[in-house]
Amino acid sequence: MTGNEVVAWAALVAGADFMYGYPITPQNEIMHYWARLAPHFGRGFLQTEDEMAAGFAMLGGALVGKKTFCATAGPGNILMQEPIAMAEMMRIPGVWVIQQRGGPSTATVIYSQQELRLTTAGGNGEGLRIVYSTAFHQELFEYTIKAFNRAWEYRFPTFVLGDGYQAKMREAVTLFRPEARGWTLTPAEPLVRRPGIPALDRDPVHLRNTFNIEEELYDRLMAQLAAYDRLTPEVVEWEVEVGPETEVLLVAHGIVARAAKQACAMLNRQGYKVGYFRPITVRPFPGAALREAVAANPNLRLLVVESAYGQLLALVKAELYGFTNAIDTLLKPGVGITAEEIMAAVTARTPKEVRPGG
Amino acid sequence: MVARVLEAYVGEYASGKSENAINRGCQLARSGRRVRLVDLDLVEPFYTLRPLKRRLEREGLEVLAWETSELVGLGETAIPLKKEMTNALAFAGDVIIDLGYGVDGRKLLNLVRGCYPTDQEGPRLRLLMVVNATRPLTSSVSLIVAYIQEFGAVDGLINNTHLGAETTVELIQEGAELVTEAAYRVGLPVVATSALRPYARRIGAYDRMGNPVRPLDRYMEDAFW
Repeated sequence: MTGNEVVAWAALVAGADFMYGYPITPQNEIMHYWARLAPHFGRGFLQTEDEMAAGFAMLGGALVGKKTFCATAGPGNILMQEPIAMAEMMRIPGVWVIQQRGGPSTATVIYSQQELRLTTAGGNGEGLRIVYSTAFHQELFEYTIKAFNRAWEYRFPTFVLGDGYQAKMREAVTLFRPEARGWTLTPAEPLVRRPGIPALDRDPVHLRNTFNIEEELYDRLMAQLAAYDRLTPEVVEWEVEVGPETEVLLVAHGIVARAAKQACAMLNRQGYKVGYFRPITVRPFPGAALREAVAANPNLRLLVVESAYGQLLALVKAELYGFTNAIDTLLKPGVGITAEEIMAAVTARTPKEVRPGG
Repeated sequence: MVARVLEAYVGEYASGKSENAINRGCQLARSGRRVRLVDLDLVEPFYTLRPLKRRLEREGLEVLAWETSELVGLGETAIPLKKEMTNALAFAGDVIIDLGYGVDGRKLLNLVRGCYPTDQEGPRLRLLMVVNATRPLTSSVSLIVAYIQEFGAVDGLINNTHLGAETTVELIQEGAELVTEAAYRVGLPVVATSALRPYARRIGAYDRMGNPVRPLDRYMEDAFW
């Protein structure tokens, strides 16, 4: 299956009720497939007039207790930031699938990792989101399901950050019903018009995105930030291969991490001492795990690899404040990176005296 | 005079249209025929035969498709149709067309002269629907029938059932059963079962439903844009 189809099936088994969407490549087939599947399973679909409308319609659906989602990319992701920021402020759950394309602006419909910053920190606020960066189709399926659970569990906007390659390429994938694996689906409840008389039977629901007084916003926001800090250790995920012998630590996310992992295995077979670190949640970022990996060897050098010009690098540097390890980069905004290119970058930068075999 | 082969490969998203169209073109070329392969999968000019053009030309095909260098500077311009494509059928040889998926892919034929000739004597373009019965939305007889009915008239079906690296001969044969039954219900022939060469060899000249077997070579895996 193509990654886009995988996402549509994942949303279906995750219990999504409604997709609001607006076409943009390379995510279109998520919408096409959902629109074809939905009538057979009693689910809904609405194509809105643009991405802002789609995003706000999602919030409306979530307010009345529906699991809603959307898929977009590039300029659509930009437009979607306003409703996403509102979801952050009002703690309205929702799932966004981002299939990154080249940027800035319309750029290419093909591929990039240039929406990392926008997806993790877009909007006029503090970026209170959960963002999973997937690397292959099985992950697209499983993390899309997980994203629905996380979104409705924590009520923060939740993202699956894919890319045009994952969207379009074909790969074998095992689809399953989450219940068959013992996964519990988080139920969606109406956030407004709950049963009972407000103030008598229950607290009134007062969801707001407007505040008249600075301090009022500050108090609310600090409570949101505290809630976000509490969820961080529960949701943060990463993959690491490192040891005291490791001389070069490859750091990459998403589909590039897949190439990095392959490069790591091949280089180690050739005698190089290479490790690998991949944040799966790029927000919240697994900073403690990264620091622990880097601390494995004081002389360890990092090689940050991404199809963007330093977006992952900025997150890595922020987490490693105070460390003195050298950081090399392989930054190719808007184009794919192969395992062979990563291997070449490592071998070219490894001084002759420490190369395996002299 | 040997009749010209005029075929367009249509069907569900990711059903194997391009791979079947390419293989058909190459097979005809290898038997000494003049063949033109036309890339009309223009919904996304970036995901089509473009990366394979040079390789196919070396195999003796005339390929009507965009070159990478021709697309540089175009941006995201909806559907850039090469003007030669509107006259794709005006060729003194076989013409194989790779169409985009679904009903909208089929509509592109409205821009190609001579696809639906009023003169019944002339050679007519045959629309062949490629079906992979492991694809979720064409995975049963009734779903395949529903897909054909939504799509509109075609001239035949091709069973292209496979599961990538997890394909088995039995899976292909089960696909042949489903596709043949669906074809029977809508009154269409099954033109072939297509399968990668090692599977085709094990199945033999005909599948268990009596459909001829077309061996396939992999081209599309090199279509890394």
